[in-house]
Amino acid sequence: MAYKKPVQKFTGKIREVTLGENLKLGGESVLPFYSFDGDTGHKPALGMEIWDVYPESWPATIVNELGDRAQKPAEWAKYVEEKYNPDFICLRLVGANQDAGDKSPEECALVAKQVAEAVNLPLVIAGCDSNEKNGKIFTKVAEALPEKNIAFLSAVEGNYKEVGAAVGLAYGNIVVAESSVDLNLAKQLNILLMQLGVKPEKMLMNPGCSAVGYGFEYVVTTLDRIRLAALDQNDTTLQMPIIMPVSFETWKVKESVATEEDVPEWGNQEERGIAVEISTAVGVLTAGANAVILRHPRSLQVLREFINCLI
Amino acid sequence: MARFLTIGERIHVISPVIRKALQERDPEPIIARAREQIEAGAHYLDVNIGPAEKDGEELMPWVVKLLQSEFPNTPLCLDTANTKAIEAGLKVYDPKPGKAIINSADAGSRIGMLEVAAEYGAMVIGLCAKEGIPRDNEERIAYCTEILDKAIAVGLNPEDILFDPLFVVVKGMQEKQQEVLDAVRQISEMGLKTTGGLSNVSNGCPKEIRGLIEAVFCSMAIQCGLSSAIINPLNKLLMDVIKTAEVIKGWNLYCDSYLDL
Repeated sequence: MAYKKPVQKFTGKIREVTLGENLKLGGESVLPFYSFDGDTGHKPALGMEIWDVYPESWPATIVNELGDRAQKPAEWAKYVEEKYNPDFICLRLVGANQDAGDKSPEECALVAKQVAEAVNLPLVIAGCDSNEKNGKIFTKVAEALPEKNIAFLSAVEGNYKEVGAAVGLAYGNIVVAESSVDLNLAKQLNILLMQLGVKPEKMLMNPGCSAVGYGFEYVVTTLDRIRLAALDQNDTTLQMPIIMPVSFETWKVKESVATEEDVPEWGNQEERGIAVEISTAVGVLTAGANAVILRHPRSLQVLREFINCLI
Repeated sequence: MARFLTIGERIHVISPVIRKALQERDPEPIIARAREQIEAGAHYLDVNIGPAEKDGEELMPWVVKLLQSEFPNTPLCLDTANTKAIEAGLKVYDPKPGKAIINSADAGSRIGMLEVAAEYGAMVIGLCAKEGIPRDNEERIAYCTEILDKAIAVGLNPEDILFDPLFVVVKGMQEKQQEVLDAVRQISEMGLKTTGGLSNVSNGCPKEIRGLIEAVFCSMAIQCGLSSAIINPLNKLLMDVIKTAEVIKGWNLYCDSYLDL
């Protein structure tokens, strides 16, 4: 008897969400990269991170390559678009942190507007370390750039009303619902945002990210279980595409931060940082992330190759 | 694991309002009953037109078209012993929201409904009975197997059959309740889907405790493997119990607002 390849069929499907003008995320009805089972939807998207302040802590090759552009976010963004052409750009408002300049929401909005005007790529806005301040920043940025399908990282349990109301309802952008590696809360937060009136097609989720080696197995099983609930149980409250700010996590762990001088046996510092970034991104993509944010151009190149090989 | 399937029972010829509406082809009361059940969370709507010996072939398509045009996302369960009426209903049924369910086939005179289901690509409720209520589980399982054999012979996928062990009234047949639950378990362990009419269990009991009896029986039956039920979705207690049982069974991911969905 001829062998018949078994196919895992699901009733659920991940929603399609459009970032910017036409970067579509999601749409799959199978587990990540399971093209042998059915429709894998849109290719996972790769974004590159830029900052609103000088990136002193970044790898030397990136900082040197950027030169003066690293002082000017709009020029930095344009350079990234022209040189590396990622699928989207993520502007992270580090300068809003108290110890990095404590920029006001208005100042943040101005930078975001300049960046948005400088590039054609879809934009993702990430806030500072304070969820409370992010509520105010996102309101101003969304007001300055309404109806542009810009995704805002993130709405959390503590600020989802303010972020959801401003970003999603008043100014028609995309709310990223973020939870800390807790799938019950991930679902709950999505429901709360929808009950607030945010449309699911204007929502993404970040169920919590970490670098490899830092509770990463739990990140991956959480992603797995969210995707299985969405596909197998057809749980419509969990069918939003997933975006993960990989670089935010990987470039702050000791494997990326420790200098070669301090730990010579670990080898070149920048190479280590790239390795942590790539392994983390590959891990979350194969567990269900639809978009990842990266810092190093080499990570972008490797991830692009990885995705193209699998799909 | 798929979610628990609920079939709303409130469009039934036994209700005077529905009987009159069906006779007079008056859409409003039927649509109102459909709407309240869908809003309460029913997945399927049962449409019971009675034996309808005179006009079933005309009545069933009328009510199918009426409900599908008003509620295109809700699949229907066509309920009558009149085979011609079922066929006429299936001919106009749009399977986009989900396959129609025929209510019902049995191991006796209504075994032909299996062929109808196979022919029209419908699902069917397989009543584990021949004449009246089965005496014991040996009979139930024998009828279940007869239905299964026949289904396979006519090319109907066993996945498209909801086996109904026939729930019985607690007031008067109390000693049979555990047996029925055990039948649900046995059929489920054969890898088959099950269903049953919950209002059978509480029939004749005071109105204020019927909902409770149905909810408790349903939760006990779900633990035995019950995969769907014919219910009154306006019974909020029952709906909440089903949602909670789904969470406890791991069929739905818990979150604080799970009852709101």
